Order: sequence, then C-alpha cells, then structure tokens
Amino acid sequence: MKRFLETGNFAITEGAILVGCRFFAGYPITPATELAEAMSLRLPQEGGIYLQAEDECAAMHLCIGASLGGYKAMTATSGPGFILYADPYGWALGCECPVVVLNSGRVGPVSGITGAPGQGEFYLMRYPTHGGNFETICLAPNSAQECMAMTVEAFYLSERFRMPVSVLADQLITDGFEDISVPENDAEMKEMGFRVWPRKIHQGPDFYPVTDELDIPPVVLGQNTGALCSDWTPTEEGYDIEEVEAHHKHAYRLIYKVRNNRHIFNHLYEKVHMDDDPDLVVVSYGTPSRVVNTAVKKARSNGLKVGALRLINLWPFPDEHFSLNTKYLVVELNWDGELVREVQRAAPKDSDVHFLGTCGDLPTVPRLTETFEKILKGQPLQRIGWEVEAW
Amino acid sequence: MEYKSSDISSAYLRSRKIPSTACAGCGLGMNHKIVIQAIKELKLAVEDIIWGTSIGCAGRQTFGTWKGDGVAGTHGRIYAIARGLRVVLPPNKELILTVGDGDAFGIGLNHLIHAARSNADMTVIVNDNLGYQSTGGQYGWTTPQGSKTDSSPYGMFEHNLMSEGMDVLHILKGAGATFLARHVSMDGAWAVDTVKKAILNKGFSLVHMTFPCPTNFASKELGSRDPVKIFNWIKNHAAPMGQEKDDTIWVTGIYHDASNSRPEFSRLIHETVEKIRRTGTL
Ligand code: SF4
Repeated sequence: MKRFLETGNFAITEGAILVGCRFFAGYPITPATELAEAMSLRLPQEGGIYLQAEDECAAMHLCIGASLGGYKAMTATSGPGFILYADPYGWALGCECPVVVLNSGRVGPVSGITGAPGQGEFYLMRYPTHGGNFETICLAPNSAQECMAMTVEAFYLSERFRMPVSVLADQLITDGFEDISVPENDAEMKEMGFRVWPRKIHQGPDFYPVTDELDIPPVVLGQNTGALCSDWTPTEEGYDIEEVEAHHKHAYRLIYKVRNNRHIFNHLYEKVHMDDDPDLVVVSYGTPSRVVNTAVKKARSNGLKVGALRLINLWPFPDEHFSLNTKYLVVELNWDGELVREVQRAAPKDSDVHFLGTCGDLPTVPRLTETFEKILKGQPLQRIGWEVEAW
Repeated sequence: MEYKSSDISSAYLRSRKIPSTACAGCGLGMNHKIVIQAIKELKLAVEDIIWGTSIGCAGRQTFGTWKGDGVAGTHGRIYAIARGLRVVLPPNKELILTVGDGDAFGIGLNHLIHAARSNADMTVIVNDNLGYQSTGGQYGWTTPQGSKTDSSPYGMFEHNLMSEGMDVLHILKGAGATFLARHVSMDGAWAVDTVKKAILNKGFSLVHMTFPCPTNFASKELGSRDPVKIFNWIKNHAAPMGQEKDDTIWVTGIYHDASNSRPEFSRLIHETVEKIRRTGTL
C-alpha cells in the first residue's frame, strides 16, 4: 500500500487506472479540470489514452466510441458540462454501453459559482437524459479515499450492468488534499473491498436480450460479431424498429436489470448512531455528511438521541432506510431541497421531515446542533428574510 | 460502371434491410450503391469495415444494412463516437459513415471539424437531400437559394454553406481534412473512383454527394414527386470542375487530395503514448 497526501482527483485517477481504465476524454471545466490534467499525465504512462474533446457532449461520445472498441472509459465534468452529457448519456443507457461518469458539483444554476461546492444535481443524476424508461446508478463518495473506492465500484457496476454509472462528488472532495492509500496488488485491492470486472465481448446474435439478468457482455465493435447498436429502439439483434411492444421489452430490461439487482450495491451507505431508533435521523450525502457526522456524535455526547444516515448509493433511491417513523432532517448543499423530497416520499406518512440547506459553503457544527435541538423540542426552524431554513 | 445489384447485395448487405424503407424513387440507394461498389472494387471484406450512420433519411436508411458491425449516433454525434472508436480500433479496420447534410453540416459540424482537424481515419459520405427531409422537408445548410421548403415558404433566402462563393468543403479543408470531393448520385463510376480514393486515404476523407428526394424536396421546389424530374433537375445543375455553367450548383470532382500527407489521428496518439510510456517524455 502506498500512501499519499493528495486530492480526490488523484484518487479517482489512480482508482480508474487500477481497474484497467485506459481511456479518458474530458473538456476543461472547474472543478473537474484537475482530474483531466491528472489523467493526461498518468494515462500515457500506463499506455492509456487521454483526449481533450471539443465540448462535453463530444467527451462522452468519445468515451462511448472507446467503450464500443472494448476499452474501459471514463469522463468527468461539473454541472454546466454534465448538462451536455444528456445526449450521450441517453445513448449509453439505451445501447447498454459501459462508461464511468464523474460529476463534481458546484453552485448553480448555469455557470453559477465555479469554485464552491454545491449539490444541485441530485435529480439530474436520476434523469440525466430525456425519455424515461430507464433506471440509473449513482454513487456519492464523501472523501478522497472514497472517491477512489467509488470510481473502482462504478467501473465494476458499469461492466456488470452494461450501462453508464455516475459518481457524484463536489468541489471540496475532488480538490481537497487528504490522506490516501493506493493498493499495489490484487490482495491489497481485495482487502480494501475493491471489486473488478473485466471487459467481456458479446458474441451475438442477440445483443439486446429481453431479460433483467446481469453479466451479459456489452457490444464491442471490430470483433466480427455483426453487432449493431443505435439510438433507435432495438430488436434483440440490434436492428432499429418502430414498434411499441419492442420498445416495452427494451425498457423492461433498462429498468429491471437495475431494480431487480439492487442487492449488488445497496450496501453502500453509512449509519452512525442508528442502532437505537433515534428521535432524529439526519440524512445527507457527500461532503456535508462529514460535518453532519461530527455534529451527530457531539449531540449524542450531549444526550440527544440523534443518528446520521449517509447515502452513498443515491440512485436507485434506497427507500429501505426510511422505515422508521421518526423525525428526519435532510442536510444538502442547495437551497431548493432535492434529497429532502425523496426522503419525504420514502419515510412513513406521518413522520416529520425537515430541511437545512446551505450552498457554496458547508453548514457549521453549531448551526446543525442548534437545528437538532429545535427539531427535537418541536420548535419552528429559523426564518430570517430570504434565509429560509424550513422546506 | 460494372455492377450487379444482386451480387453486391448478397456479399455485403443484410437481406433484412434491403430494400430499405426509403420512399419510392428516392435517390439514396444510388449513393449507397456507389459506396458499396467502391468497397467491392477495393476488395474489402465485411469484417474490414465498421459502418457508422447518423439520423435522418441517410442515416436511418443505411443503418443495419452492412453485413458487419454497425453503429448509429444521435443527431450530429456519430463523428465524435467514430473518433473515440477510431483511436482504439486496429488501424486496418475501415470506418465508413453514411450521414445526411443536416447531421454533418448543421448539428454535427463542430464534431465533423474536429474529426477533420485530427485527421482521424474515416470516410464520411454526406448524402445530401438538400434539407431536413425525414422531418417533412425543412431547409438546411446546403439547400439551394430560393428553394421553397416547408420552413422557407417564400424561398430560402439565408446565406448558407453552398451559396455566394461559400463552401462547406472550404471549411473542412481549412480544418485539416486530407481528402474532399463532391458528386451527385448520377456520377456513377466516376463517383465510385472518388470513394475508392477517399477510403484509401489513411486520414479524414469526406465525399459530399447530392441525391434526389422526390417526396419532400422535389414536391415543394419542383411541384412534382416525379423522380425523373428531380433526377434531371439535379443532373442539369451539376457540372464537373472546369465545366461549370452559370446555373451550376454542384461542381463535381475532387476538391482536395492531400491523402496520406500528414499523420493520422490514432497513429499519432498511439506513437506518442508509446513514447511517453517507454521514456516518460515526448
Ligand atoms: S423523404 Fe426524400 S430523402 Fe427521405 S427517403 Fe423519402 S425520398 Fe428519400
């Protein structure tokens, strides 16, 4: 094991290289630029290819091309670039093309604030393209080390599920320096829980079978298999067809290969002080969870029965964590409240769901502590002019 | 030109997709045959070629027709997919793209320019039906000036990429394409020869080839769906380079042949990567 004081971007790069990613295409955008730079340095040293694309839409299409040629491929961006992935993301979902996509969140909408963390793409990660009729998988790390782990996991899942898998980080995690361990061999990777799935090649002729099964190899072109892949509704052999029944079969696979196999990744969460049915469950993901965990531990030491639930597997949404009829506080890096809507939907009808939003900056421990106390005492949350805490 | 449709069909094309669902009298099949004949004359095998397509009439009608591997991209994106594919494919595999004018010269132009810039080895056949015909017939970037279409009911009056001395092939030449040519679908054996040269260029090649669309373009502009009328109209407005007349719209022939003159994209990338891998520097 090698140890470094490095950024999340470094960790992502090394994680990708460890699992055999040899193709990265990106377009400069803060705060994902440093990842592209790290890839441009490291990939050629490993015999891999770094391409700078003409725009983000091309970046993900280049990855699709490389993946169709049998390479494990990755791209990375931030919100304004992620929106340009809508087109290729849909293609990769429909054609079941494995690609790993990293989105490092900043403050939006539009260009917003470039150098500050935000979580405004919670729903966009669920619906990164138009048309519906699919499920997506999204993982959200909260540290540089976990960035590496989730990049590794994203590659594993993208091969087994034959689809793009996204990692949702934010500017603090990808740019911040932290202690990082990089495994040096298979045994160390196993020890760290890293799972690897090799690229396999579909031999045809039924490239798009109607089944929820995993581990069907993806389409790889140039292997003389007669593979066909397109943006249209496919027949099982890959021919384009205008027929609702065929589309229904196609959609069935895109939806249920994920829904029916959630057990592969739904262990990806963290619970702190959650064993005794807390009076208040604080829900978060990504960077804010680090402050939340500290505040929850402090509240416990002050005798408050508070627990923390951190989601790592964001999508499909893990409803199973919300069976407890209690109070919930959802902490997010946005002011409109996104995750809170899903928590409200998943929690028992009469549970009490609250929201605390900050953006561009993390919430502080004292502010969280004060909020916990107010919610537990049944006091209303503060409203000072435009600074509305209640959702 | 010596070819029997049935021979090339059975050797290279999938019976399930031939004949295509293109309208009766559509000229796209002529372009398609020109490309297939060129492949045959070059003695390429099914497995030597990966076929890419776009959307629109040209893309949809040619997707899945090639007996080997095929990939279709959404509007304008196949050039970016093809560039990603090019760089990881073995160099002996040919990439042939049959696309439309809206896809290549409108929504995909940025990606197309970057494919030319990088001199990525692919042959792009832009099958020009003079506008957006699969969506009912709106004007595009090569629609002749004055033409009536569904979205230019008073006649197409905008500057476009084929009028007033402007030419999309100039843009692509400036961007670094190493082979550029223009034909109309009636050019037969001559166009076959050009497509052969385009394929033989180890770099970015594009052949712009106009074909008759009786259903939409002709019905509005010429007031007739008679395939013979639009066939003759295109033929009469085309002339080989050097023999242009006042009313010539399509000047045909090879515009730019710098075949194999500068490093091909994937070769450049692989040689560079290999050098960095071995020595740590360029
Ligand atoms: S609309 Fe025109 S170009 Fe399209 S298939 Fe019909 S005739 Fe051909």
